[in-house]
Amino acid sequence: MCVTFSTTVHLRAPNSLPLVFGLSQRDDRYNHAAIPLGGLRLGAAISIKNLTKTYTLRSGVKSNAVDGIDLEVQEGEIFGFLGPNGAGKTTTIKMLLNIIEPTSGEATIFGHELDDMTVHKIISYLPEKPYYYEHMTGMEILRFYASLFSIKDEEKCEGLLKKVNLYNDREKPIAQYSKGMQQRIGLAQSLLNDPKLLFLDEPTGGLDPIAHKEIRDLILQFRDEGKTVFISSHELSDVERICDRVAIIKKGKIAAQGKLEDLLQGGRIEVTASDVSESVASTFRSSLSDGIVSWNGGRLIVDVPDSVDQNSIIDTIRSSGGLIQSIIPRRKRLEDLFVETVSDDRPVQNVGGAS
Amino acid sequence: MKKSRSSIVAAVIGLFVVQAGLGLALQPIWAKNYMPKQKGVAAGLNPDQLLAALAGFREMVAGILWVRADSFFENGNYDAILPIIRIVTLLDPHQLDVYATGMWHIGYNFTDLQQRSDRRYLPSAIALGSEGAKNNPDTYEMFFETGWIWHHKIEDGYDRAVKWWDEANTKKDILPARRNLLASAYIRNGQIEKAMDYYAGLLAEANKRVADKTDTDPMSSSMRDTIERNLDNHMIRMSQRGWMAKTKGHGPIPYDTEPPFDVGFSVKVTVTDAKKLEFEGTWNVLPVGTRIRVILRDADYPHAIAGGVDWDGDAESVNLDPPTNTTYMQDQLYVRNRRFTKKIDMSADPTMYPFNKDKYLLEFYYSPRNAPPHIQDKFSWDGQGLTDKNFLNTEIRPGVRVIYTSFEISRDEILRRGEWADKAPVRMTSNFKKQGLNAIGSDVINSESLRSSTSAPKPAPTGPPPGMVPPSRPSGPVAPGSN
Amino acid sequence: MNAIVSIARTTFAEAIRRKVLFIIFLIGVTFLAVAPGLNVLSARQERTVLVGFTLGVIQLTSALIAIVLTVYLIPNEIERRTIYTILCKPVRRWQFFVGKYLGAVTALGVMMAAMTVLLIIVFALQQGTRDPAQLAPLAKGPLMFFFQMSLLAAVAMCLSAMVQPILNFFLTGGIYLVGTLFGTIFETFQENRGVHPVTKAISQLVMSILPNFGKFNVQNPLINPNQQIGNESMYYIGTALYGVVYIIILLLIGILVFERKEV
Repeated sequence: MCVTFSTTVHLRAPNSLPLVFGLSQRDDRYNHAAIPLGGLRLGAAISIKNLTKTYTLRSGVKSNAVDGIDLEVQEGEIFGFLGPNGAGKTTTIKMLLNIIEPTSGEATIFGHELDDMTVHKIISYLPEKPYYYEHMTGMEILRFYASLFSIKDEEKCEGLLKKVNLYNDREKPIAQYSKGMQQRIGLAQSLLNDPKLLFLDEPTGGLDPIAHKEIRDLILQFRDEGKTVFISSHELSDVERICDRVAIIKKGKIAAQGKLEDLLQGGRIEVTASDVSESVASTFRSSLSDGIVSWNGGRLIVDVPDSVDQNSIIDTIRSSGGLIQSIIPRRKRLEDLFVETVSDDRPVQNVGGAS
Repeated sequence: MKKSRSSIVAAVIGLFVVQAGLGLALQPIWAKNYMPKQKGVAAGLNPDQLLAALAGFREMVAGILWVRADSFFENGNYDAILPIIRIVTLLDPHQLDVYATGMWHIGYNFTDLQQRSDRRYLPSAIALGSEGAKNNPDTYEMFFETGWIWHHKIEDGYDRAVKWWDEANTKKDILPARRNLLASAYIRNGQIEKAMDYYAGLLAEANKRVADKTDTDPMSSSMRDTIERNLDNHMIRMSQRGWMAKTKGHGPIPYDTEPPFDVGFSVKVTVTDAKKLEFEGTWNVLPVGTRIRVILRDADYPHAIAGGVDWDGDAESVNLDPPTNTTYMQDQLYVRNRRFTKKIDMSADPTMYPFNKDKYLLEFYYSPRNAPPHIQDKFSWDGQGLTDKNFLNTEIRPGVRVIYTSFEISRDEILRRGEWADKAPVRMTSNFKKQGLNAIGSDVINSESLRSSTSAPKPAPTGPPPGMVPPSRPSGPVAPGSN
Repeated sequence: MNAIVSIARTTFAEAIRRKVLFIIFLIGVTFLAVAPGLNVLSARQERTVLVGFTLGVIQLTSALIAIVLTVYLIPNEIERRTIYTILCKPVRRWQFFVGKYLGAVTALGVMMAAMTVLLIIVFALQQGTRDPAQLAPLAKGPLMFFFQMSLLAAVAMCLSAMVQPILNFFLTGGIYLVGTLFGTIFETFQENRGVHPVTKAISQLVMSILPNFGKFNVQNPLINPNQQIGNESMYYIGTALYGVVYIIILLLIGILVFERKEV
């Protein structure tokens, strides 16, 4: 229960700098400031190898909620962990937080085993839609969570309240807080220990657009402070705006993982034509596995990656008597990637990335 | 982690042994001082009541129930109170109020339309009293109350009254005034000398209290006076009733009790209608205050003795189910002007008088032990001054000369069925005569020294000696044998 | 230690604000306040009725509070996901578990203390006495009840690591009932010569396993004070010790299960 952890922590990741973390939290903070920011690769904040969580259902059937995933999150990046509901996002996070035990596989956080209490001093977790003790005021909540770290620092609590813009509401009970305010007090409590790694589970879920922006700005601010942020979300537009790298999990397996810019490489082309017969649409549907084909009363829209030969599409339409109306190239969005990844059974796509 | 788990398991096992040892060591102390005392009575309790009773909320539930019982008392819904009394006393065996009230209630309050009480409940009343006494052995109350039932309600088996009051006397909290009653029980039990000794002991104590300057009780001296008066009275009676002379070996001396007086008992019973009896008969004692016990019961009534029932016989457990299959009627025949008449109607109370046996016994019983003092002055405590040439009985109550006779009577006769539908069954003693008073000759109590009670009539100008004239006779005094 | 104290303090603050508990508490308090009214009907034994009734109210109310409070302690944390914000801090699960229990027991203790004070006030007013020698012994009942209820809460706490709250509610209630009754049943078996030795041995075994709640029911001599008890304080200390040892056992078992529980 002592605050300082006197062991020197050597990061295990092979490509890491021989970083030495200091002896106390204050030293940590100092070290953070000293870490060069930007594109420089630091050590692995999270390293997951073949992590599996198996549940035995009532029928006796075993089901893998998380099925042998490999994942590496680098220090100082904002990592987006995406996937549809029930894909295994929260299960993975809970395993990383040592709240549930993996069935097999290993994972380390900053090189520590997961059941090492020192991990919990340098990480933070903001669950999805948490409720805080409603009888407490914002300030009391922070005091309570601070006491769990044995921190008795009123100024720090007040500073965090200012940071999340709740200082004026600090004496109000949580029961009177709006959803956005509750999420912000959650963020404030998650910052009490100056975490090096933050797990945020759906941090913008259920918030209005202004609150979205506030949270996004805060998360970006964390990165600028050198913190690693692990966001689990299906709010793709938010993730797209702030994440450096993403992984998409599907049915317990990583379906895609890599730098966002790499994953979204290559744009798409949308060809719109009229007077097209339905048989042409059927031809496209069977030949363009990556394409999205829609036909309605002679009007055809073909949406394909720009790697597909556009001329042959145009030729086919024309030769069947169709009339090309527009050809619009556009950048690939995360939503496209997400839909592509989770909507069919394509093999795992692994672009760039650390592994 | 695994290591710490196994050491926790080891600690759990170790502590488990510790708690088991502690628990078993504490158990006897708990059982002695704190355990709800339920022994022997749990049999009468439903499982759910037992659960509630044992679960630790007993006293509270008991309190609430007793409050509820009170409203039933007000409405006279006595049947509803019985189970409550039972549950309350089981729940909280220290509720003296409920025991005492319950016992009184069971013993006295179940009556037929003519206010005869249902004595079939007496064993339950006694059982409840015994149970209350057993559960509250440190206080005199239930011992006293149970003794009272014997002394006042049963009026028989006075040794039991002595036993209970004797025990009540050993409790520290007994009220001084209640201690006097034990003397009365001694007397009725025939322990005349013991009563005197007891009074003397009480008087000595009372004198000490009065002399004690620190005693602030204003009642002390009046209590002392009462005891003194009682002792005085008792000694006078001992002397006048020939007790002193007899015990000193002076033989029969013509004190008040000599020679024995023949009461000339005769009776005629007519079954006037189904379950309706009419009694008439003679008893040659003019002063008021004679009550002759009459009983009509199943011939095989449990624990029956001549002239009553050994009510202790069935008094082992409190049974609140009304004893609907037995019949027991007991009443008194009041003698006025040396005769008695009474009509007893049992037709309106089928639950109390079910008459579902074939044979019945009709009994008449008189004991001098229950007689008021002015009559006892003639008969003495044990009936030395009492006789009857037909019905004197010295066997059914050893040591006491009582008057007793009985008739068998069948169910058909009582119900006026079969051959008795049109014909009134009659039972009578052979000495009964129509206009029975004609039979009475000179053998009427005629003793100068026979003291009268306070209600004794004034002497009439002519006719019998003082005390022989009933006050309410409108047509003037009736001399013995004048009609 | 800090973590345990913080969690306990928060749990306490939350518990005394829970509406359900407050309503149970208020009902108890109301019964205590009207208790003197019952004595009109039993004038001879007003003291017996008053003490018996009020102690019963305190016991019933506290048992309800203890169970209702504890069965939802952990499930509520999981449902509101606050447990995750706590367990991802440097807080061991056992610290969380113990902290929650201590907070609940503190809340229970405060409510019971309030009721006891009320009991003494009611008694003092009704009996017209201010004699501490008469009033102080009344607190002995609730004091032992407190150990009883702490044990009850530990049972619920231990079970809450294993079963759902509703089931836990009935299980705990059942254990309370059996644990209260068994002492008497055991005595009946021991004294009755007709009971088979095997039955006796089994009852002895059950006796040494079951949490014996009956031991803490010391109200009989309080209600009927004419009973003389030798070495009373030793019994109290022994019983309290028994309670504490059993509580530790239950908490340890609870922790063993809770450590592995997937929340």
